[in-house]
Amino acid sequence: MSAIAITRAGPLTTLQDAGRFGHLADGISASGPMDQRAFHEAGALLARVASTGIEFTSAGLAFTTEGPLRVGCAGGQFRVSVNGNPREWPARLGLNESDVVEIRPGPAGNYGYLRFNLDCDIPTVLGSRSTNLAVGLGGWKGRALRAGDRLTFGAEAAATEAAPPPPPADGPIRILWGLHADLFDAAARSAFARSGFVVSPSLDRMGVRLLDPAGVFRTQRRLNLVSDAIVPGDIQILGDGTPAVLMRDHQPTGGYPRIATIVSADLDRFAQLRPGTEVRFQPVSLEHAR
Amino acid sequence: MEHGPAATSLSPPTERIDLPVPTLLPLGDRALLIRFSTELSDHANRATIAFARQLEADSPEGIAEIAPGLVSVLLRLADGADFVRLRGELMLRIGETVDAAPGVEHDVAVRFDGADLDEVAGLAGLHPREFIARHNRRPLRVLATGFAPGFVYCGFHAADLMLPRRESVRPMVPAGTVLFAAGQTAISATPIRTGWHVIGQTTFQNFDLEATPPTRLSPGDLVRFTEAA
Repeated sequence: MSAIAITRAGPLTTLQDAGRFGHLADGISASGPMDQRAFHEAGALLARVASTGIEFTSAGLAFTTEGPLRVGCAGGQFRVSVNGNPREWPARLGLNESDVVEIRPGPAGNYGYLRFNLDCDIPTVLGSRSTNLAVGLGGWKGRALRAGDRLTFGAEAAATEAAPPPPPADGPIRILWGLHADLFDAAARSAFARSGFVVSPSLDRMGVRLLDPAGVFRTQRRLNLVSDAIVPGDIQILGDGTPAVLMRDHQPTGGYPRIATIVSADLDRFAQLRPGTEVRFQPVSLEHAR
Repeated sequence: MEHGPAATSLSPPTERIDLPVPTLLPLGDRALLIRFSTELSDHANRATIAFARQLEADSPEGIAEIAPGLVSVLLRLADGADFVRLRGELMLRIGETVDAAPGVEHDVAVRFDGADLDEVAGLAGLHPREFIARHNRRPLRVLATGFAPGFVYCGFHAADLMLPRRESVRPMVPAGTVLFAAGQTAISATPIRTGWHVIGQTTFQNFDLEATPPTRLSPGDLVRFTEAA
């Protein structure tokens, strides 16, 4: 039997598969990888790939192996070494007994992924092994992985994954006007599309708060709205005027006004933007987004 | 406990609901929201639930998930779904009358000892005993689920039991907390933060990961609140 013993884990290191779909009415959002494209890129590095992988954060991850294991690594730009020998990122690693893998922070990205050729011994919860940190459900006992955790593996997976399309070009993050765009006047909508925002240090799997240096929403008045469904990428304006982008562990419904939704093709790219990065939003048509 | 229409039951018989004309709004590029109103009303909520049930029974192509809310139905689209065609298909179905089947009935026993009970009763001009009696007078409908695992909104109380939410949010209340605001009673099934008034506690558990489905209460069900012995 193969296993990995985690020796160092940044905060919010989680097990994720494609997601826990179909439980919005039960009050559970789908979770799944913050950067789905990178998750699949890591999977496509392997000839056989298991559905569940590890999502780690900008601080990186370190582990030692027990028994043979193939690992695909992708997402962001990290530095990886095996037994002290540096490897190119993204990486395809063929590991053996007692190999030491060190993943250190690199120049870009918030999330990286490890995919494995073996199925991990983790029970499914409501049909998925994804960790929902907001609820404390699924994955490794509903919590983030940390040093001392030992993940064991079983049989080789049967599935294969095709390489995802190349990432969309840099540039503005594309949005569709949101559920409550009509509650913002034309001046606010225009300022939103014209101004630069900055990714704040307050980010996790539930959401990313933005700084608003131009003060687009500074005078936003409090609105009393009936709760409606939330989708990943929704940009809501909190009561104090802070814009926040709802991510994969979002609450399923909410009552803050939502001016826009990031198109699904750009949400992965947005998730990788580090605190301090300027971000601009560009309205596009639904036809363009699909 | 489930009662058929013939059983001794407080459920109304199947009713016909005239659907208000909803607004169809894309929610990003992977979902569509069918919004019956921008304000919470009994009619818009009944229409939302009835329309969601009808879609579940006869689902147009391209829908991956149907999630009714308070006044709108979320449709998560399947990969490759034809947005325009689905929109057209839904437009054909709106403006119809739909049948709303009577909801399943549930008894929920509550220990009315919440931190805000006296204050809530006082604001309604009632003695706490009187408030509890009024609160439990008739069953409430499950208006919506989905805010948090197993969380339900139930309504509506009579107009004189209408109270706004609290000014401040409580950091965490445990599963089974019975909450009161906005003419509704809500029940938490996991620990949550809340700005609602805490009026009591129940052992009724609406979230069980071992069960399929993991929640027992569905929108449109009836909840009969009783006082726990």
